[in-house]
Amino acid sequence: MRKCTSILFFVLWAPALALAAPNPKLAIPSFSALAQKATESVTITLDPGLLGLAAKFLDSSDPQDAATKDVLKGLQGIYVRSYTFDKDSVYQQSDIEAVRSQLAAPGWNRLVETRSRKTHADVDIYIMLDHNQAIGLALIASEPRQFTIVNIVGAIDLDKLHKLEGQFGVPKLDLDPSKAAQAPQK
Amino acid sequence: MSKDIESQMRAALRPVAPSEEFSQRLAASVASARPPALRGRRSGARLHPLAWWFSASLAASLLLAVGVHQHLQQQRLQQSGLEARREVMQALKVTSQKLNLAYEAVKSQSSSLTDEGNSV
Repeated sequence: MRKCTSILFFVLWAPALALAAPNPKLAIPSFSALAQKATESVTITLDPGLLGLAAKFLDSSDPQDAATKDVLKGLQGIYVRSYTFDKDSVYQQSDIEAVRSQLAAPGWNRLVETRSRKTHADVDIYIMLDHNQAIGLALIASEPRQFTIVNIVGAIDLDKLHKLEGQFGVPKLDLDPSKAAQAPQK
Repeated sequence: MSKDIESQMRAALRPVAPSEEFSQRLAASVASARPPALRGRRSGARLHPLAWWFSASLAASLLLAVGVHQHLQQQRLQQSGLEARREVMQALKVTSQKLNLAYEAVKSQSSSLTDEGNSV
């Protein structure tokens, strides 16, 4: 009887607990209207299956491939949307707002926020932590003629990301998850 | 008394080799009593040459089809894998470009703050 009660309790509460768990996967709009206006667009959707397949085609004897393979371990998805336009102000900030508003949800912490008056380039980097481990990364970069949204889902090892430094032009950003954990939550 | 009966019985029931005629009759009756299905199968075991060629070409075609299908599937998997690999590389490149943008902004901000500090 007691066992039945605990099973019933678990069955009833499991969906609620699943909903309460932070979800690092963002619902990125299709941006189909903007894609038509863009001179260059990058749409990348890599789910766990494709990431696993890509990892099989990375050569471990090649240093860059080996480092990439190492970064891919534990990742559950990479989603990139990037649009480049031939003139300014083709897109509005409201277009990105649908994504930005999701980053106000509990669990997301803003790691970097840069606003450049000179280049008018704004970059926001958010990180989602679970037990001091990064489980999601979101990046929104908006420039007058380009905007980019990157969402990486899964156990992100920032040290491994650092290892890519110099290979994809990844700079040293001092992405310390403990600093994000100390920062006040949005 | 009982010993006499026993020896008489032994003499009467001693093993006797069958006659040649009996063996021939037995062999003939066994041959005629073979089930018709067995006889039929045995007589049909030989395929017509045309049927044989037809079966062989059918089997060869089937093997070829399976081989071609597997080859195409392997090729498709390889294409998808290489495409996924290219996308991973591109995704990391885009991410690194934007991280670089943030890094440059942070660096220029910190250097301007240092300059202001030095001038004061």
